[in-house]
Amino acid sequence: MSTIFPKWTNGLPTMLAGGAVVGLSLTVGVVWYSFTNAYWDVGYQPKQPGGGFNHQIHAGKLGMDCRYCHSNVEKSAEANIPTVSTCNGCHADGRLMKLATSPLHKEKTQFIRDAYGKDEAIAWDRIHKLPDYVRNFPHQAHVGAGVSCLSCHGNIARMPVVWQHEPLSMGWCLECHRNPDPHLVDKSKVTRLFDVEDRRELGDLGKLDINAEGRKFYDERKIHAPENCGACHY
Amino acid sequence: MSAINPDQTTAARLAGMMRAPEPPRVDDPVTKDGSLVEDPAVRAPLVLGNRTFNDVTETVCGYIEKGPGRWWMPAFGLASSVASITGLMVGYLIITGVGVWGLNNHVDWAWDITNFVFWIGIGHAGTLISAILCLLKQKWRTSINRAAEAMTIFAVVCAGMFPGIHIGRVWMAWMLFPIPNSNAIWPNFSSPLLWDVFAVSTYATVSLLFWYMGMIPDFATLRDRAARRLMRQGDNAPTLPIVGVRVDQLRALIYGALSLGWRFSSRHWHTYEKAYLMLAGISTPLVLSVHSIVSFDFATSVIPGWHTTIFPPYFVAGAIFGGFAMVLLLLIPSRILFPGMKDLITLRHLENMAKIILTTGFMVGFAYAMEFFVAWYGANAYERDVFVYNRLMPPFLAGEDGKYAPYWWAYWTMIACNVLSPQVFWIKSMRQSPLVIFIVAFLVTIGMWFERFVIIVTSLHRAFVPGEWGMFYASWVDILTFVGSCGTFLTLYLLFTRFLPQFAMSEIKNVMPQANPHWEGYGHHGHGHSAGGAAAGGHATHHAPQAPKEGI
Repeated sequence: MSTIFPKWTNGLPTMLAGGAVVGLSLTVGVVWYSFTNAYWDVGYQPKQPGGGFNHQIHAGKLGMDCRYCHSNVEKSAEANIPTVSTCNGCHADGRLMKLATSPLHKEKTQFIRDAYGKDEAIAWDRIHKLPDYVRNFPHQAHVGAGVSCLSCHGNIARMPVVWQHEPLSMGWCLECHRNPDPHLVDKSKVTRLFDVEDRRELGDLGKLDINAEGRKFYDERKIHAPENCGACHY
Repeated sequence: MSAINPDQTTAARLAGMMRAPEPPRVDDPVTKDGSLVEDPAVRAPLVLGNRTFNDVTETVCGYIEKGPGRWWMPAFGLASSVASITGLMVGYLIITGVGVWGLNNHVDWAWDITNFVFWIGIGHAGTLISAILCLLKQKWRTSINRAAEAMTIFAVVCAGMFPGIHIGRVWMAWMLFPIPNSNAIWPNFSSPLLWDVFAVSTYATVSLLFWYMGMIPDFATLRDRAARRLMRQGDNAPTLPIVGVRVDQLRALIYGALSLGWRFSSRHWHTYEKAYLMLAGISTPLVLSVHSIVSFDFATSVIPGWHTTIFPPYFVAGAIFGGFAMVLLLLIPSRILFPGMKDLITLRHLENMAKIILTTGFMVGFAYAMEFFVAWYGANAYERDVFVYNRLMPPFLAGEDGKYAPYWWAYWTMIACNVLSPQVFWIKSMRQSPLVIFIVAFLVTIGMWFERFVIIVTSLHRAFVPGEWGMFYASWVDILTFVGSCGTFLTLYLLFTRFLPQFAMSEIKNVMPQANPHWEGYGHHGHGHSAGGAAAGGHATHHAPQAPKEGI
């Protein structure tokens, strides 16, 4: 029946096999990509007003506690972005007598005083975003359970301008909810980023003294990380 | 044709070029052609009309090459219009949400799952015919297996749609399968709903493979016939109206690609037979497993009326029952509409299937009775209540308290159709009348749909607490989606009759008298061939060569 099919069709099985290999690789590749940090926008660092709030100086060099600005983190789901008046509390004219009096600094922080004078908010760009079918991340519950800020945000005190440090995927959430130990610290150490970071470098996560303290606190409070759908989805 | 080389005759006979001489008349009173013969020593012929092998090929290929007849186009137009309703309804459902169905907080499974179980059950006849009857060497299966297998595939297509669309967010249907994902969640492996996914997808795959593999030699026949016509007709070959491609060129290409290079060599046949047997072996447990697992969807729950150990065998018997009814619904009109099909599907075939309907009808009847027995014997008040006051009790029999089952009409429809209607098959003339068989098959199909409706809806509509009681009313979308799925099924089946071989030609030829290596005519030699019938077994003595009586 050589008359039915032209000669080039002899190559069809090879082409189909090749196509199958390519198709399969693409499928695996696409699924694989959905697991990578690139897909989840790790490293997302939008341009912020005034060049951004320098966490490296404020939380790192100056050693300010996270809760000075994010004052509601222990009380509400939102770890609030501070109001302009909080900024102005330090950066108003005539304050900061000894520190940061250079003309350069004055110039760089002028936008705060401008905003304060005009009674306007500063439009900080949100970095850590969750989809709308997920409830607001309850900061008070996590901080209250002894999960360090570091576990989700990385060591903010080393970031001149904040970037997204973790994938924030559902799998990433569940990884901790299924095995919280590596992320538990004593309540008193939750915001002490350098402390936590140093300890984490000492040995196996989850088996450190700092984790044991956290676990004790966690058990005493009878906390349980939920895994049911309704915990995060309405 | 000479005494010097008698083997030529045998060869010619085996090649099907010879017509069998008129068989001895073993009359049966109804058909006068011997197909309903009652004498157990005589095998009823499975192919009538004293055909050669070539006649069979011409008949079966003729349905495709000459077309099934004028009736096909209107029938296809009607069926595909009804099928398009499915598309509209599913589209409307996806755009709007499952609220367009009649489901509510009490009855959260209704027509969707009823239709799923209904369609998936229908497929079981095809698998039973192609697998179990093959292993049991039931030769009468050969002329109905292809159509039954096709019907299986189309029923699974219709069935598969419903779980896919009942989940609400259809674009998340991939989550039915255990696919690694960045949500780090998996289906619940201890849930029968997941087992169902595996059972149904395995079933669909194996059935499709079985069906396709069986068709390969027939595709090759169609390819060769098209190629030969092309060579003969050259440029005069008829062309398609608008595109101008020669029809046989297209046939040769398509059937050629589908036949995977089949050349009818004996090595091909050898491998084919082995593969066929293996697939039959693989499919056999599927006949039992698929509907068992579908029944687990209900049986592993704690809902009274679902929580029953009898469900797996009960569901399997019901599936075969409903499946054979559907085979009959399709084949009885086919016998009339396709010329020559009555010789391939004889009354004996229909009678055999009627007997299977009677048997499996008894099985489901037994299961219905057992459910009541266990509800009484188990002394569980909730279960007894479900059976008596959710299903059985009609208002005119209600006691002083006036309690009756709101769905009594559904229950009694089921009993009338499934248990009572097949009883007419006790009468021989009834199970030998295509019209009666068709009517009973139609009733059984209705009854089997109601069986699933009764199981699902009556068990759900009244939960343990009276505060959770409520009725289910089907919405117009519910109804049209089901009607549309019937149209989809019929459309696919009509396409099958138009473009694919409806009979396994090689298998039919195998049960014809010419295929018996020891066949040398019906008693022409006068020694021991008197009972030679279509499927007569060979006899022990080897024949000395002798002059054939028939010319080639």
